[in-house]
Amino acid sequence: MSVVGGGAPGTRALLMGNEAIARGAVEAGVRVAAAYPGTPSSEIVEALAVAAKERGFYVEWSTNEKVAFEVAAGAALVGARSLVAMKNAGLNWVMDSLMTLAYTGVRGGMLVAVADDPAAHYSSTEQDTRTAAIYAELPCLEPQDQQEAKDMAREAFSLSERLELPVVLRSVTRLSHASGDVVLGDISAAPAPEPGFNRHWRAPYRWNVYGPPGAVKKHEWLHSRQAAMLEYAEGSASNQLDDVPGAAFGVAASGVGAAYAREALSALGLEARARFLKVGCVWPLPRRLVGRFLAGLERVIVIEEGDPVLEQGLALLARELRIAADIRGKIGGKVLPPWGELNIDLARGAIISGLEGLRAAPAAAGASRAAAGASGGDGADAVARAEAKREAGKLVAPRSSTLCAGCPHLGTYWALRHVVYRAADDGVPVTNGVPVINGDIGCYEQAGYGLFSRAVAASDDPSRRIKVKSPYEMLDTLYVMGSGIAMAQGQRRAGHDGPVLAVAGDSTYFHACIPGLVNAVTNGTRVTFVVMDNRWTAMTGHQPSPTTGVTAAGGAAPALDVARVARAVGMDVVLEVDPYDLEATRAGIADALACDGPALVVARRECALQVARRTPRPAVTTAVSEACTGCRTCLELGCPALTFDAAAKRAGVDGLLCVDCGLCRQVCPRGAISDSSASSDPTRGA
Amino acid sequence: MQFNLVVAGVGGQGSIIASHIIAEAAIRSNLHARVGETFGAAMRGGAVASHVRLGEVLSPLVPEDGADAVLALEPLEGLRVAVRFLRPHGSVIANTAAVPPVDVNIGAAAYPDHEQLADAYARLLARPCFLDATRLAVEAGNARAMNVVMLGALCAAIELPVSRAALEAAVAARVPPKTLEANQRAFRAGFAAVRDARAARG
Repeated sequence: MSVVGGGAPGTRALLMGNEAIARGAVEAGVRVAAAYPGTPSSEIVEALAVAAKERGFYVEWSTNEKVAFEVAAGAALVGARSLVAMKNAGLNWVMDSLMTLAYTGVRGGMLVAVADDPAAHYSSTEQDTRTAAIYAELPCLEPQDQQEAKDMAREAFSLSERLELPVVLRSVTRLSHASGDVVLGDISAAPAPEPGFNRHWRAPYRWNVYGPPGAVKKHEWLHSRQAAMLEYAEGSASNQLDDVPGAAFGVAASGVGAAYAREALSALGLEARARFLKVGCVWPLPRRLVGRFLAGLERVIVIEEGDPVLEQGLALLARELRIAADIRGKIGGKVLPPWGELNIDLARGAIISGLEGLRAAPAAAGASRAAAGASGGDGADAVARAEAKREAGKLVAPRSSTLCAGCPHLGTYWALRHVVYRAADDGVPVTNGVPVINGDIGCYEQAGYGLFSRAVAASDDPSRRIKVKSPYEMLDTLYVMGSGIAMAQGQRRAGHDGPVLAVAGDSTYFHACIPGLVNAVTNGTRVTFVVMDNRWTAMTGHQPSPTTGVTAAGGAAPALDVARVARAVGMDVVLEVDPYDLEATRAGIADALACDGPALVVARRECALQVARRTPRPAVTTAVSEACTGCRTCLELGCPALTFDAAAKRAGVDGLLCVDCGLCRQVCPRGAISDSSASSDPTRGA
Repeated sequence: MQFNLVVAGVGGQGSIIASHIIAEAAIRSNLHARVGETFGAAMRGGAVASHVRLGEVLSPLVPEDGADAVLALEPLEGLRVAVRFLRPHGSVIANTAAVPPVDVNIGAAAYPDHEQLADAYARLLARPCFLDATRLAVEAGNARAMNVVMLGALCAAIELPVSRAALEAAVAARVPPKTLEANQRAFRAGFAAVRDARAARG
């Protein structure tokens, strides 16, 4: 039994925030859970997939977040408790459904768990889901730690049933991907509604926004739920006021910001001198509790991750309540940046800044030290420390992220680079003009990360060919799931005459690229689409993709074929290559580029990590011989198993990382990288 | 009581598991634990830092200059983290086996040598302790047990708020059962390496 599926009530266990959310759902008796993987949210449904086998409920990896949301919504309409989990960007796919489901509500409890990513560790934006929940007029909970994440997730289901509305739980990276000790609760046979369906449940045409009396009346109904939401907020144990009678200074915080704020207040010795409001239900805000917090305060510092949601909410309530407190956060006083993530140091700095100029400022312990900078110490000590850190910091070489040793994408990118950038050098001018390679989301997006050690200068040229020497500098555009294939068509139709390509992985292909592919076919737009099919949703931790042939619970599923789907929608030119065979991959991409219409290249080979996990590891046979001249051509492959000894001017192979894929043997112009075993088949070791 | 540690390494070296083992040992010793993890995007090869906080703690990240110790599974990554997080007179327990970044391999950056690292730690007022944990793990029978060698070294190098027995019990609870013996040997090898180095210095 896993801890999430079977940990005994009362046990104190180390749980990741995502596992805690999953455990809360299990304690509430969730029946249907669905998600598309997305960091930092994936472990919610990963943990539920394990628990589902142990406890007998349904969990799936859906084709995309919109599908996952609708699966969960459908389950909730017939009375089941359901959960859908996603990352911040996943919610963008879901907004159409979320906004509309709010008008009809649900019967079974439905939890929408969204993991935001302040500091954009794993995301293209820092967007704040709380704003989306307010936009949809749905209640939004924000836990401060793993314990509260579990408790809130559990409570969200009964709250959802009471309100007849889906409930949004907003997590962040530092909660979802952090672990803490959690006391487990009962896994009761929760009193969930009976499955069943009634078209006119408690309202005519309940599950049909167009049905009489129509969408406006349903919007009115949504507003009628606000009194009940507010009643919940006022009584929620997740909203806490640490009152200090007569205080002039207060700190309000939500989510993980509350944990940072409490530690900062404690470090400053201010716990008993500043009033503290911890908000767990961020929408709607508890008006009476906020009123008690604000009463008599001269100044308030608001600490929250993401947008100034709590800050604006407090400012609005203060105006309504005619309280003249000076509310400072990301807008007022700009004491915290509206981008990036928080930490204790930022929270401490904001609190100290809030004490300045107060008529009755509480004395903070060590405030001047903290104000002098996080490095601590006064005067000469602080200067010396800062200097030591600066000098030591100069030695810290950047570590750009890479694809894995033996990654099939290394082969695809090598081939692509040689077709697009080296054609002229080879005397085969396949390409004229500036190439545009449109990226997409997955491991292969690292081809758009660049190298941190390489300085890049901007220029005002409207068109410029950029020299590219590694896979990590290949992608010209990089936005969101599915954007590459469609953007490529706009570039071509605008008259761009260079090679126009898009790349995507197999999971992304089924998630988001099919409409764009159909669009290229129906409009006959000349673009080259390279799908790197590695059989898994690898980047988020190897969840099954539609090509894998496995369900979330580990059962057998049909393994869909990227090429067959493309042919079925009318794509005439579909070439299939093995990215471990560089010449074949190069020829395939060159042929596709030479086509007059849309063309697809499917570079298919299973993720090297998954192969290595399944197969016993033989001794590595790839070795660099005396014939190496130190030309560094092999390093342009971008494989982390290839090293370079600058003193000896010789390449080397890291035996702990190398998987004997054979790619470097194919690229060495001197034949100096050899297979010490007899075979010379470039695809050996597959 | 509050104990702050940052475990630094390269993706795939097992820094997250090492962090969870320490947190597990703390929970078994009735302490609160928080582990702030960085992983998921670039699974392999990227810089990984995991913040382990024990005792009276609420939030997942160690404050700047707030770490009592840095456990460096890779030397460059240890320095990267120590520069920002290690408190003056804090300890660094560092593996000496380098994993050069791609930036160094392509000649776009330089990897600091051992003397430069030692000098930098001296300037930062750090108390470093070096061992070739990768070699010790290979000798213990499993190269992947390097993270557990480092846990043994950590246990010998500084006074932790958890006992050696609690830590070893957490190792046993968290590593794959078929690698248990190799991991137990790895832990003892790391512990002995630091203890013996101390004894040799007098």
